[in-house]
This record gives sequence, C-alpha cells and structure tokens, in this order.
Amino acid sequence: MRVRILRQESPTTEPYWESFDYDGPKDTSVAALLDNLNFHDDLVNDAGQKTQRVTWECSCLQGACGGCAMVINGMPALACDTFLQDLQGDEIVLQPLSKFPTIRDLVVDRASIQDNLKQSGIFIGSYQPAKNESFALQYDAAKCLKCGLCLEICPNYTNGINFFGAVFANDCYLVHARNRQKSRNIKKTYAQHFGNACSKSLSCMDVCPMHISTIASMAKLNR
Amino acid sequence: MKEVLVIGSGIAGLSCAIRCAENNVRVILVSPQPSERAQSVMAAGGINAVTMQCDECDSVSSHIEDTLRGGSWIAGKNAVTGLCSQAQDIIKYLEHIGTVFSIDSQGQPRRRAFGGQSHKRTYFCGSSTGKQIVSALVMEARRFEAAGLITRKLHTHFHSALIKDGMCYGVLLFDELKRTLTPFYASAVVMATGGQNALFGKTTGSILCDGYAAGRLFMQGALLKNLEFIQFHPTTLETDQKRMLITEAARGEGGRLFYEEGGRRVYFMEDKFGANGNLMTRDIVSREIYATNREVFLDVSFLGDRLIAERLQEVCDLCLKYRGIDICTQPIPVAPSVHFFMGGLAVHLNHETNIERLYAVGECASMYHGANRLGGNSLLAALYGGVVAADDLCQRTAPPHCPSFAQFIAHEERHLAAHLDSKSLFPVTYIRDMLADTMHDCMGIVRTEEGLTEGIDAVEYYQSIAEHLRYDSSVSMYANYSLTGILATAHASLSCALARNESRGAHYRDDAPQSKDGYAYATLVSYDDGAYRTWLDKEQAYES
Repeated sequence: MRVRILRQESPTTEPYWESFDYDGPKDTSVAALLDNLNFHDDLVNDAGQKTQRVTWECSCLQGACGGCAMVINGMPALACDTFLQDLQGDEIVLQPLSKFPTIRDLVVDRASIQDNLKQSGIFIGSYQPAKNESFALQYDAAKCLKCGLCLEICPNYTNGINFFGAVFANDCYLVHARNRQKSRNIKKTYAQHFGNACSKSLSCMDVCPMHISTIASMAKLNR
Repeated sequence: MKEVLVIGSGIAGLSCAIRCAENNVRVILVSPQPSERAQSVMAAGGINAVTMQCDECDSVSSHIEDTLRGGSWIAGKNAVTGLCSQAQDIIKYLEHIGTVFSIDSQGQPRRRAFGGQSHKRTYFCGSSTGKQIVSALVMEARRFEAAGLITRKLHTHFHSALIKDGMCYGVLLFDELKRTLTPFYASAVVMATGGQNALFGKTTGSILCDGYAAGRLFMQGALLKNLEFIQFHPTTLETDQKRMLITEAARGEGGRLFYEEGGRRVYFMEDKFGANGNLMTRDIVSREIYATNREVFLDVSFLGDRLIAERLQEVCDLCLKYRGIDICTQPIPVAPSVHFFMGGLAVHLNHETNIERLYAVGECASMYHGANRLGGNSLLAALYGGVVAADDLCQRTAPPHCPSFAQFIAHEERHLAAHLDSKSLFPVTYIRDMLADTMHDCMGIVRTEEGLTEGIDAVEYYQSIAEHLRYDSSVSMYANYSLTGILATAHASLSCALARNESRGAHYRDDAPQSKDGYAYATLVSYDDGAYRTWLDKEQAYES
C-alpha cells in the first residue's frame, strides 16, 4: 500500500508531496498507520531516501477529542476514526485541513474557531432554559469537538473572517436553548455569521464525528 | 493587577482559571492543545454529590465515609470533608453555567448508582459527563477571555519552574512553533497537567498526560506522594494504539466475566464471590483477572440486541469499530489496564505544594482519593481543587521581588542545544517504550520486592543514558526533553511501591498481601541530587 502525504516543514515554507510504502496491518486506523510509519528507526520514503518523521496531532485516539482531524483520500475525517479497510484503492492520500494555516505536516492552527466564538460573545452565562427545547439536541451540540471537519467540507466557509460555519451555529443553538435572555441577540449574531450565508449543502453533517444535527440547530435559530 | 499561570486546561485547570477570573485576577492558561483535547473529555461516568434531591437517608457524612473507606483510610479527613461538603454547590454551579445534565421528567438532574458507594448520588450527562462539563466550562472561560481576564497560550509546553529558596516565581515555557524557551513570571503557578500515563505506554487515557511536569518539579524540590497507588480498570479492550475502556455499566447491566477451559466457560468471579461477583470493586476484579493467567472475556450477548442498543450502544460501537467484534453475538476479550493515578504532587489543604506559590490540582495532585478512588469522585475533585487553589492564591499578595533567573535559563537553553548536537544513534522514543515495558512488568497489578527492585535497576539504567540520547529534531522538542522528568516520576513511583511493604487499596504486594496498621499513612518521596528518599507522612503534614 502506498501512502502519499502533503508535507510542510514550517508555516512559512512551501508544501510538498512525499510517498511511503506501507506494509503494516490493514485492519487498523489511519492514526495507527501514522504511528507505524514513525516508529521505524529511520523513516524512509518510497525513493529510499531517509526523511523526517511525519508530524500529526492526537490526544485520545478514540474519536473523542478531535485532535487528529485531517483530509483522508479527499474527505475530512479523524485519523483515529478512519480505518484502512474502509478506504478504496491501494493508495492513501493524507493532507492537512486546508482552511487553516499549516503549522507542520498534518498539524494546523485552528485558533480561528475559538477566536470567532470568543469575539461573538458565544457563552451561556447563566442557565435560564428556553421552553420546549430538545434535551437530545442540546446534549449533541455540547459534544462538538471543535475539530474543524465541518468547516473543511463546507462550500461557504473560506477563512472564517465573516462566515463562521456549523461549529459556530451549534454553539449558538446551545446558548439560545440554555439562556432565553440571550436568545434574541444570539439569533442576530447567528444570522450575521451563519444563517444569512449558509447555502444548506449540509455536507457538515456528513463529516461530523459526533453526528450533530446542524440542520436541527438551524431550524431552531431560524424561527 | 495580579497574574497567575495555570498549566493545563482540562477541568481542573479551567475550574481554577475561571475562579481566579471571577476574583478579578488575570490568568494565563497554558496548554499544548485546546481544552477539547484534554483527558477530561474522556470521563464518562459522573460526578458525586449529596444534594437536597438525594435519598433521605443519604448524607454528606456518608459520602465522606464512603470516600475515606474507598481510599483505605489514608486520605486526609479534612480534605475529604471539604470536598464532599462543597459537592452540592459544585453541581449547582455546573447547572448555572449551562452543563447539559441528564434530567428527569421534572427537569431535575438525574443520579445513578456507582461502585463503592452506599447511596445513589452520581450525577451524570448521558455517557459523556466529562465532555459536557468541559463544554460548559469552555464557554464560561470564553466569557472571561473576551473580558481579557483569561488569556490562552496554546502550542506551549511546561519546561521547568523558576524556584529560588523554596518559592516559585514563574515557569519556563517551551514554544513549539518558535522552538524557544521563554520565562513567564507570576504571583502563583498552578499545575493541572493530569496523571502519569506515559509511564505505562498504552493506558485508557490521553497521550498528553505523561507525568513529566510532576517529575521535573520533583527534581526541583517538590515532594511527590502516594505514587504506588495506581487504579487499574479491569475491563479494557486492546487496540493498536491504546486500551479502550469498557464501561463498568456493561457489568452493571449483567455482563459476565469468564475464561474457557476444556471447551466450557468458567465464570470465575461468580464461582468465587457469588451472584454479584462480576461487580466486585475494580481492584479485586483486576487482580482476579490477572490471577487467571488466561484470556478473559466479558459476555453481554445474552442481554439481547434491544437492551444492548438501549443501554450499551457506545460499547457496541467501540468494539465493532476498533476490533470488529459484535457484542450482540460475541464475547469481548478484556484485560485490566492503568486507568487513574491516586498519587502525584503532595499538596496541603489549600492545594499548595511544599514550594511556596506553586499549587497543583486535578490528577497531577495527590489529594482526596487515598489508596483508591471512588468512581465519580475525580470530576468532583478536579472542580473543587481548582476552586480551593484559586481562592487561596487570590488572597495572596505579589511576591516582594523577583530574583534573577538568567543563569538558570541560560543553562537550560544550553542543555537543550547540546542534545540536538548529540551523535547518539538512539532516539528518546526507544527509552520511553522500554520504560513502559518495565513499568508493566514491575509495577503492575501484583508487585513483589524482587520485581520492584529490578524495576528500579532498569530505570536507573535508562536515567544513566538519558542525558546522552539523540534528540530527534523531527518530533516535537517536548517529546525529547520530557524524558528525564518522566523517568524521575517512574523511579519515584517504584520507590514508593517498594517502601510500602504491605497491601492497601490499589497497591497489592504478593509478598505482603495484608494491610498493616503501621502503614496507615500516605507515602512521601523526595529527590536530592539523584537520591530518592521515601517516608510515611505520620505527622500528616499534607492533605490534612
């Protein structure tokens, strides 16, 4: 099996492709494949040249933290939650999330996610629940990993300067549902940075590792 | 205005940072990755509290009693009393900031029963209590970030503390992007860096929790405590990269442990302990599984597809995803694994270490749990400890003057540079893997004097070569320089386990299987230029 990785040494250098031959187990995750490559005494690419170990980010290794979000064979996904046997073909292509600045190899700087939430004042403050809100939807919304997969796939999200994406919409819903005093203002903020510009492709829901129903959040906030 | 450094942004770090900000104290919140990646998000079960909604016959004193008994009577009574007494307020606070608790038809948070407790007092958020609490705390911290009271510093690792004459003035931080060491001075430093998973390689927890910070501070004069007490979770599933936790709920719902012999199933826990044998405490189940010396399975298939889908869906998903096992038809191969560290930095009631102005909270501190932790008490301790530390340090005035650390900083910079120039063929990761094997072999569920002595010999060898290893420039610098601190924590842990010549709580010595009255105290360990000294805290100088 061949593994092609889009690599980059630092935020200011140019990205480049490098390929590796992988002969490890197939019934494993992409995260385990990366560990397998890196574990060798010296990492050698498919041209037989010694090269630097591949940098990537992780913490929980069980799909609960969002650290290892990347693009796998063209689809945004978590490396620890994607299995080789489920991928098509004999080649695996790994790229960093393209909508965030690359720090090194597959590690990107996702600070814009938190910055946008902070600057828009997305916090509950004091629990004063709105009436008739679904517990299940709030529970799911609060499971958001802030991994950035929904932003990577979104046709409307580019750089997070005006349109903040599904991650923003779901946090807005949580504030709306749990503090009715803030509901009106939060709907305005939501419309400004999400509702007015979302073209409703809903691709965000296809890639969300927590299966958050962004369309349900939108339905509540568009009312 | 005072400024405080909080190192680590999981639940304990967030709790402390928010409380400081509420007191109008500015906080720099340091972590390599954002709070969503902290191990706290993996805590599933719940958080204990006796509230007005609890059973009439339940009481705070009963919670205290359960906690002290669970900890085999060596946790500090005053500390545990504070923890349990404030638990109700902590639940109220979590509700107030919008935590999505599981609720009953009246909208009140629900409770579940948990092991080792006399009453049903564990509040929960579905099967992701830790994650839901982190989400609520992150939002609350965001409020103070927007107000300029909390500033996050990401992609940054703790390197060492700036300590002189028993007082901490700040820390050296390593910036992975700039690859530089930078001093940060503060009126207090709070460590919230989690447990010591890296000592054992594969555990149920996060790879970000490695025991480096505790080890480095230990080498700088901080005392460590109770490192021999490590909780093993009896039912975990082996995968390529880690051990996945199979929740206790699987046995709570009726799951049965067995091994196969001569083509038939032997339900060894039921044979030995009766009908409820599968629900014995974690340490007993772990030891019994270990004693079988066979492959052990957990069977829930007889519960039926419907009940499994209703109550154990996450176990079902996890087994299918990571091992291709359908728990509706197949048993789950399980083995015990390291799950929680009761030991860590020794702290006083106010969470301050023996170094003035240096605090520790959460799993990196040794507090409240004694020789074994009750399920549902770790989230409570993380939140409560953060508040206690914050309230104490906010009352303190800034230190009178800050001495110069220029010489120390220059020395540490030269030290890092020298490693990058090393001609050794062996990278640091080799030793980390060897350490994990040593700790599993010598510091596992069942220990002996001989094994622990061999473990210390092995770690001393790793320490003797650690200073000469090659720092691999293509992995993070932290992964390189953290080795010496991790080895110190490992050495200290083995020393504590060797010194405790009895069995108590999670510490089981095959050559001393009974508890002894003379050991009914916490173990303290100090470091002095390579010498590890242990003693029992008979004066109860800590946690009491």
